[in-house]
Amino acid sequence: MKPLKIGITGVRGVVGEAFTPELAVGFAQAFGTYLDGGRIVVCRDTRPSGPMVHAAVCSGLLAAGCEVIDLAICPTTSMQLATKQFHADGGIAITAGHNPSKWNALKFVRSDGLYLNATQAEELLDIFHQGEFLKTTWDKIKTTISTADSIGPHIETLKSAFDVETIRSRKLTVAVDCCNGSCALLIPRWLEVLGCNVLAVNDDITAPFPHLPEPMPRTMAQLRAVVKAGHADIGFAHDADGERLGIVTEKGSPLSEELTLPIAALIRLEQRIGPIVTNISTATRVDRVAKRYGASVIRVPVGQAFISEAIVEHEAVLGGEGSGGVAVPEVHPTHDSAAAIGLILERLSRAEQSISQLVEELPRVTMLKYNVEVEPNRLYSVLQKFRVLVESENLEHELIDGIKVLFDDGWVHVRASNTESIIRVIAEAEEPDRTQGLIDWARDRLQR
Amino acid sequence: MRAIPTLKISISGVRGVIGDSLTPTLLTRFAQAFGTYVGSGSIVIGRDPRTSGEMVKQAVIAGLLSSGCRVLDVGMCPVPTIQLMVRSRNAQGGLAITASHNPPEWNALKFIGGDGTFLGPGIAREMLDIYHQGEYAKVSGENMRQVEMVDGAIDQHIRAILDVLGPLPQKQRRLRVVLDACNGAGSIVGPKLLRALGADVITINDQPNGEFPRPAEPTPENLSALCATVKEHRADIGFAQDMDADRLAIVSEFGEPIGEDYTLVLATQYVLSKQPGPIVANLSTTSALDFVAQLSGSPLHRTRIGEANVTECMQREHAVIGGEGNGGVIYPRINFARDSLVGMALVLHMLADRGQSLSEILGELPRLVMIKEKLACPSNKIPEVLKMVRRVYANSPFDLRDGVKVLLPNGWLHVRGSNTEPIIRLSAEAGTEPEVRALRDSVFDLMRQLIGTNE
Repeated sequence: MKPLKIGITGVRGVVGEAFTPELAVGFAQAFGTYLDGGRIVVCRDTRPSGPMVHAAVCSGLLAAGCEVIDLAICPTTSMQLATKQFHADGGIAITAGHNPSKWNALKFVRSDGLYLNATQAEELLDIFHQGEFLKTTWDKIKTTISTADSIGPHIETLKSAFDVETIRSRKLTVAVDCCNGSCALLIPRWLEVLGCNVLAVNDDITAPFPHLPEPMPRTMAQLRAVVKAGHADIGFAHDADGERLGIVTEKGSPLSEELTLPIAALIRLEQRIGPIVTNISTATRVDRVAKRYGASVIRVPVGQAFISEAIVEHEAVLGGEGSGGVAVPEVHPTHDSAAAIGLILERLSRAEQSISQLVEELPRVTMLKYNVEVEPNRLYSVLQKFRVLVESENLEHELIDGIKVLFDDGWVHVRASNTESIIRVIAEAEEPDRTQGLIDWARDRLQR
Repeated sequence: MRAIPTLKISISGVRGVIGDSLTPTLLTRFAQAFGTYVGSGSIVIGRDPRTSGEMVKQAVIAGLLSSGCRVLDVGMCPVPTIQLMVRSRNAQGGLAITASHNPPEWNALKFIGGDGTFLGPGIAREMLDIYHQGEYAKVSGENMRQVEMVDGAIDQHIRAILDVLGPLPQKQRRLRVVLDACNGAGSIVGPKLLRALGADVITINDQPNGEFPRPAEPTPENLSALCATVKEHRADIGFAQDMDADRLAIVSEFGEPIGEDYTLVLATQYVLSKQPGPIVANLSTTSALDFVAQLSGSPLHRTRIGEANVTECMQREHAVIGGEGNGGVIYPRINFARDSLVGMALVLHMLADRGQSLSEILGELPRLVMIKEKLACPSNKIPEVLKMVRRVYANSPFDLRDGVKVLLPNGWLHVRGSNTEPIIRLSAEAGTEPEVRALRDSVFDLMRQLIGTNE
């Protein structure tokens, strides 16, 4: 079976296989129909299929009677902010985020710049599946309007959320790897506003991804070298659309992407105490940070829409996921690596403390991940079987998103990926051996 | 009677109504079929100023990129400019987004081969087979090619015309020309070309904004504004284009439309005066062309209707000029396409060369009268209508290559189904108005009865 995921986070697939122009056209028509025409903001990341998907989306939106504001290449958060700025009725981000180059995806945003929630996404899917779309006539059809600078308003919002003067006074040296993604247009510019000495690599939006657009230690070799050679104060790694952030310390050590959120939480809670939102499969390290400040952690199912909605609902001070996504509500309640960078650099500028010293303050835990490949049509039945086994063994468990089995000294969470045909197994305990033991325990039961 | 469908998929391309049959999904599939057919090379695309142009173009770009093509986007420009660019960029094909003379709610895709001519019937049928089979070439997301925005196509087109014909000889005063571009793609090129040729130019309807100031077909009844402007400015000639600037109609210095057929007659007479050789025209084109051909002893070949049929025959016969009676002039030395810009340049050169007025030149040609009619007609009724015409003229010679053309001592009568719209067309030509009326009346009411319109 070909990889294609149509779900509440949008539609995602491999271009040249199941992700066809017709599919993109159909979803754009469905979205235009869902919003009853109106003004739609569109952006894309830098992957080679971007122009194809972009053309298909514009065509579908125009046919449904929408007016299209084309931001061309920009990070997803820049588009989400533009949705509000242009008083648009919605937005579409054409990006497969951290997926490899041959993938692409559509993500749907509402007029407030947040992703469609589960109910809204289901309604959109119903329209798509029904296949009856609004069709505008020649005398009402609208056109595409291009914007000159899709990044500028984002930078202005960022400037108002952080203490730019303090950061400028420190003249930090910052290395960045933009993975030749849309961040190449935002992050170096933002760092220059912050008065940093910028050492940028892979900042060419016309070049292919130099490595997987997933900011994990195994993709950070080049960034580590730049940090060391340039004696940088910190290094930042990015995905293709500016949602996930990875960190390299001033010593050139790559940090697990799981640490980005706890670091941000530590900084945030020093400033202001309030709830922190994260998903069910993110490490409990963030809970331990929150506990230190007497703050609460709100857990939601995996998916940015859930995080954004919970941030707004609970007036949270921060949101994020273990994948490196951090949302700073003063900027926008969705993952934004530029905002996370602002938060971290502000802290490095205020206190005479390096990033590795900051990491030392974090509580210790070991987390491991393991993926089990499953035929797409068997994802549900494999999970169901696992759940029956867990129940028959009388183990304590939660069913928020997949099955999270709770042990006295750790936990293991088993869930179906929203974006690929795999079952993700995530385990956490203090000691590495125990964590591996938990992974093996779950794998053994999934493969029975 | 059931509703006549608004979608027309034929060897002339795909044509339909926005907000009805011409959906982005259909368009992107057609573009994929074309990309699959040409084997993923460079494809030149361009569009006319219709309001739906952007939507159609985006669907086409998506389909072409998906099938592995590289897209050269020449923007808004005449169809003949797209055809010229296909050759000058050595592209594997071209795709014109225009419903030429159809009303504004229509749009269409026309497919162009690597030689800059529209796909011939055989090739077009193969492409349609690929479309219907629905299995298109798909390039992997990692290897997708890109869109190149091409500037300067229009200037290149003007240069190509001047390179062959040169500017007008300035023997006496400059020629004064009125141009009615129908707010079409020609709005951008026509005035520029005419000035480059050395004419004084007055333009009307030169805003390519998607609004139709008049019906797009440059037929006499649609040219009253042009006629008035020619008279007002005492111009030497008036030119009218359609939306995509392939067809050209002419108005005399007295402000009278000379009839679309005479565009080709004049251009042909000028070209033959410099270079005799074979001529090609379709079956519905005026017999005045036979007169012009005989004057220079050049053979005239007749073809089925449709630019592709004419160009195919022109290539085979090495024609020096050809075209269609609807104002489409094809002059291969510049462009293997119906090209109103080339037509204007040829006719102006003729005026300047001969130092005569347009009416004087026309006075030396036989003035035949032609009638053109059309009736809405579902395609399943067309055979009955054709059979009826053959019954009425059972004793006269026929040409059956495209519908029925009846050849009569004093003229001819041609009835055929359209390739582009759900209509049946009748044209008739004779020496005088009463004669041609009689030809029309001999079958027109019978046609109406057979089709069963509720008029």
